[in-house]
Amino acid sequence: MEEIKKGGLVDVFDLKNVDVHIGEIVDEGEGEEEWEPMGPHPMPRIATLRDWDFKLLNRYKPFYAPICDMCCLCTYGKCDLTGNKKGACGIRMDAQQGRIVLLACLVGCSAHCGHGRHLLHDMIKKFGPDVPIDFGPEVDIEAPLTRLVCGIKPKTIGDYDEVFSYVEEQIVQLADALHTGQEGSYMDFESKALHMGMLDSLNKEAADIIQIACYGMPTSLPGGGPDVPLVDVGIGTIDTNKPVIIVIGHNVPPAADIGVYLTENDLEDKVELGGICCTSIDTTRVYTKAKIVSALGRQLRVLRAGIADVVVTDEQCIRADVLELCQRVQSPMIATNDKAMHGLVDRTDDDPNKIVEDLVSGRVPGVIILEPDQVGEVAVRTALQMDKKRRSLNFILSDDEFKYYVNDCILCGGCTLACPNGLHIGEANKSAATGNIKPLADLFDLCVGCGRCEQVCKKHIPIVDVMTKAAYPQLKAEKGRMRIGRGPIWDSEIREVGAPLVLGTIPGIIAPIGCGNYPNGTKDAWLIVKEFAERNYIVTLTGCMAIDCALWKDEEGKTIYEAHHGRFDAGGVLNIGSCVSNAHIHGAAIKVASIFAGRPLRGNYEEIADYILSRVGACGVAWGAMSQKAASIATGFNRLGVPAVVGPHGAKYRRAFMSRPDIKEDWKLIDATDGSEVYVEPGPQDLLVACETVEEALPMMAKLCFRPSDTDRGRSIKLTHYIDLNQKYLSTYPPDWHLFVRAASDLPIATRNELLKKLEDEQEWKIDWKKKKIVEGPIRGYNPSFNPTNLERLIRGKK
Amino acid sequence: MEVAFDVANVSGPEMGGIAPPEVIGSYISSARKPLLVVGSEMLRDDFFVEIAIEIGKKGIPIAATGHSIRGFVEKEYTENVHYYNLHELTNYLRDPNWKGLDGEGNYDFVIFYGIIYYYASQMLSCLKNFATEPLVRTVSIDRYYHPNARMSFTNIMPRMEEEYKDMLDKLVESIKR
Ligand code: SF4
Ligand code: SF4
Ligand code: SF4
Repeated sequence: MEEIKKGGLVDVFDLKNVDVHIGEIVDEGEGEEEWEPMGPHPMPRIATLRDWDFKLLNRYKPFYAPICDMCCLCTYGKCDLTGNKKGACGIRMDAQQGRIVLLACLVGCSAHCGHGRHLLHDMIKKFGPDVPIDFGPEVDIEAPLTRLVCGIKPKTIGDYDEVFSYVEEQIVQLADALHTGQEGSYMDFESKALHMGMLDSLNKEAADIIQIACYGMPTSLPGGGPDVPLVDVGIGTIDTNKPVIIVIGHNVPPAADIGVYLTENDLEDKVELGGICCTSIDTTRVYTKAKIVSALGRQLRVLRAGIADVVVTDEQCIRADVLELCQRVQSPMIATNDKAMHGLVDRTDDDPNKIVEDLVSGRVPGVIILEPDQVGEVAVRTALQMDKKRRSLNFILSDDEFKYYVNDCILCGGCTLACPNGLHIGEANKSAATGNIKPLADLFDLCVGCGRCEQVCKKHIPIVDVMTKAAYPQLKAEKGRMRIGRGPIWDSEIREVGAPLVLGTIPGIIAPIGCGNYPNGTKDAWLIVKEFAERNYIVTLTGCMAIDCALWKDEEGKTIYEAHHGRFDAGGVLNIGSCVSNAHIHGAAIKVASIFAGRPLRGNYEEIADYILSRVGACGVAWGAMSQKAASIATGFNRLGVPAVVGPHGAKYRRAFMSRPDIKEDWKLIDATDGSEVYVEPGPQDLLVACETVEEALPMMAKLCFRPSDTDRGRSIKLTHYIDLNQKYLSTYPPDWHLFVRAASDLPIATRNELLKKLEDEQEWKIDWKKKKIVEGPIRGYNPSFNPTNLERLIRGKK
Repeated sequence: MEVAFDVANVSGPEMGGIAPPEVIGSYISSARKPLLVVGSEMLRDDFFVEIAIEIGKKGIPIAATGHSIRGFVEKEYTENVHYYNLHELTNYLRDPNWKGLDGEGNYDFVIFYGIIYYYASQMLSCLKNFATEPLVRTVSIDRYYHPNARMSFTNIMPRMEEEYKDMLDKLVESIKR
């Protein structure tokens, strides 16, 4: 057995058939300076990690697809930038696109920072600053990003004040760069966007750690991690015979207070608490009787269906017309966050009796209550009374209304031109009018629930309601199950899988995250998870994709969470939690570098990102990426060396990061062992790329898990999946599979001869058939002790 | 004036024109080195795959994006057909030094066909804005008005499918190589 020294480098390729055991990396109980020596880049500023960014940007050159050819940000404009022209201020189209990307990341990062800071205020007010951050016996590295970026090892939630102060200052500096007459280089805009993305990842970790610590959400204490319970998902799981409260958004304290009120008043089985979007995920982490009604994509339709006796909003991903929607179905609304007040009157600290009376009588359509601890009582009491009032109401169209509307459609196509997915609604109406409602019912899942179609219909057909009516039997039957968000990956799990991940024998981590702007419905989310879990990848989900994939079942009637274990190990399907929880996916990659390879963490972002880029085969997928948060999340993954695939709507983010495998010089790495330069295969080929269909995305994700550090055994496993997924979904061999072959031992044994023959015939490689060896052809040979890096400072000895 | 297929897809002062199949066909005929880029929507009917193959048989190479390559494999027409991811392909097309599918250089003309509207629109926008020296000309022969292409058809609703098929037949006929 080989012991790995604390803080020392370990050459993983020298470790054959050995058990890796790692002791405490961090000295506990000593002064702040003692836990680990400070690395080179604590609390990096805009320019600190610019060299690293430029290394990424030179290989993965920013690609721009403007969605608007003009700029109208100052009174010189509008400026026409078509054809990479310059505006009056001198900015070119490419830099302007970088500027808009930075703006999107600014908005996304600010949302997470604002959310985290808000949460910290509320939690310090409620519990004080000294709530300990202790995630149980299996999690020593409690805050990998906080340690990595800030050089801080947080002990209590109060320690996050300093972290947010740092982020807030950086956000302001980065926002400053957006002003007319500041930055002019697209490369620097992108470096700033990467900085913003990194800050965003830090915000997310901070926010989740604070809520885990304060609410006792699952950790490595009993019942946590792989053993978290399952909860109900789907519109069909809500019992509308009971009063129903629907929470929407991302900030859990008001919903948590509702859970507390229900528990304390013995109402848990008498009132339904359901949620939409991330608040629902986090509510189930504190109150397991809560249900997840839907992800973001169905918000409009859930509200229109009128199942809510009261709607409680907090922040982010709430429809801007939520109040109007609530009024339409007589659901009183309680806004609980100063970032989304919707024109209502602030009734914080008012007498709850009066508030409930005003809401129930309909005197006001809604109220604002900014103290989370005042929300539970008002929401529950209102729901109890509204249930009685609303019981006789029905907001699903009657059969006659449905018939009238589908017959009234004149097939003008206006709705199709307005629909983001170009759905053929008129034709489906026509078919329903002649008795076949299936096409219309099928549209329900393809629809992203935006409501644009209805606004242009000249016949004033309530298209969304018509679709809901057609799909109603399916909706009532929609009953899925998902694991509640488990939060951090355990250090002990990383110890188990660190070696197989870096060596490649677990072919990768697939991280489906984010919103529901899917090109072809929610089933794609399920297929992505199923395909990779069955191939023994580790699948870590957060946010809307974690919810949407739970709506579908296999032949045995099991959801994907029921069919797979929840360990961070081969074949696991893990719900990490809400959007902020996806910081733990960064955390897992960072812990691989730290726990498995012994790389120092503290203030050492560049080295860890370099490690992850070359060695940790992880790939994010935001198949329905929609928001600015998704832009900053993906950019944060990218700076840490993790690629991401987006669906076709993701092309509207304007920017992608793709490499050029045909430009040899772009693929020069350094062998840290002796400083020699090595030309390598394109792994990972892209950092951000859109695929048109899920059939294309599946092999693409497998491709983006190749890393130069793969051992031959690991490479052969990755190649097997890459080739197999291509054959399964694209009916062909991938045109570039040979690029990833370094030696015959990289080829799967079962098909080795066949593949060698293909290399000889199609690529004109020289094969020694007697020895079954490749003599000439590959970009490089396989060197088991290759120690890849992009950073000269990490060279250990000169050749 | 025709509206974009996705009505708000108004890009700026340079919006492409709408043209009948014969005009687009002769425009394609003027290309020095054209490339047909097809996407997954082509797979919705065999007819559309046949159209792509007919264009291919006129000596125009085909980049099959999305999972459209399946259509060509099924019809056993794979000569001159190469799988590419559309984002990556557009990244190549914007570079004048790219060697192309044949290793002999980039294309001066790209025909978009069978690609999800909004994704195609973004890629056409990239080429319009950044593939300018030398110019890469673009057309779309989908059933959508594409303002970011130099030329495209008008919006064609599903009930006009037969007319659209006729248009494609006419287009193929009018491509002279
Ligand atoms: S910021 Fe620059 S490009 Fe934009 S409108 Fe003003 S002058 Fe024109
Ligand atoms: S509500 Fe659905 S059908 Fe209507 S425009 Fe939006 S996505 Fe299309
Ligand atoms: S806009 Fe209205 S009338 Fe026109 S096709 Fe759509 S549903 Fe029918």
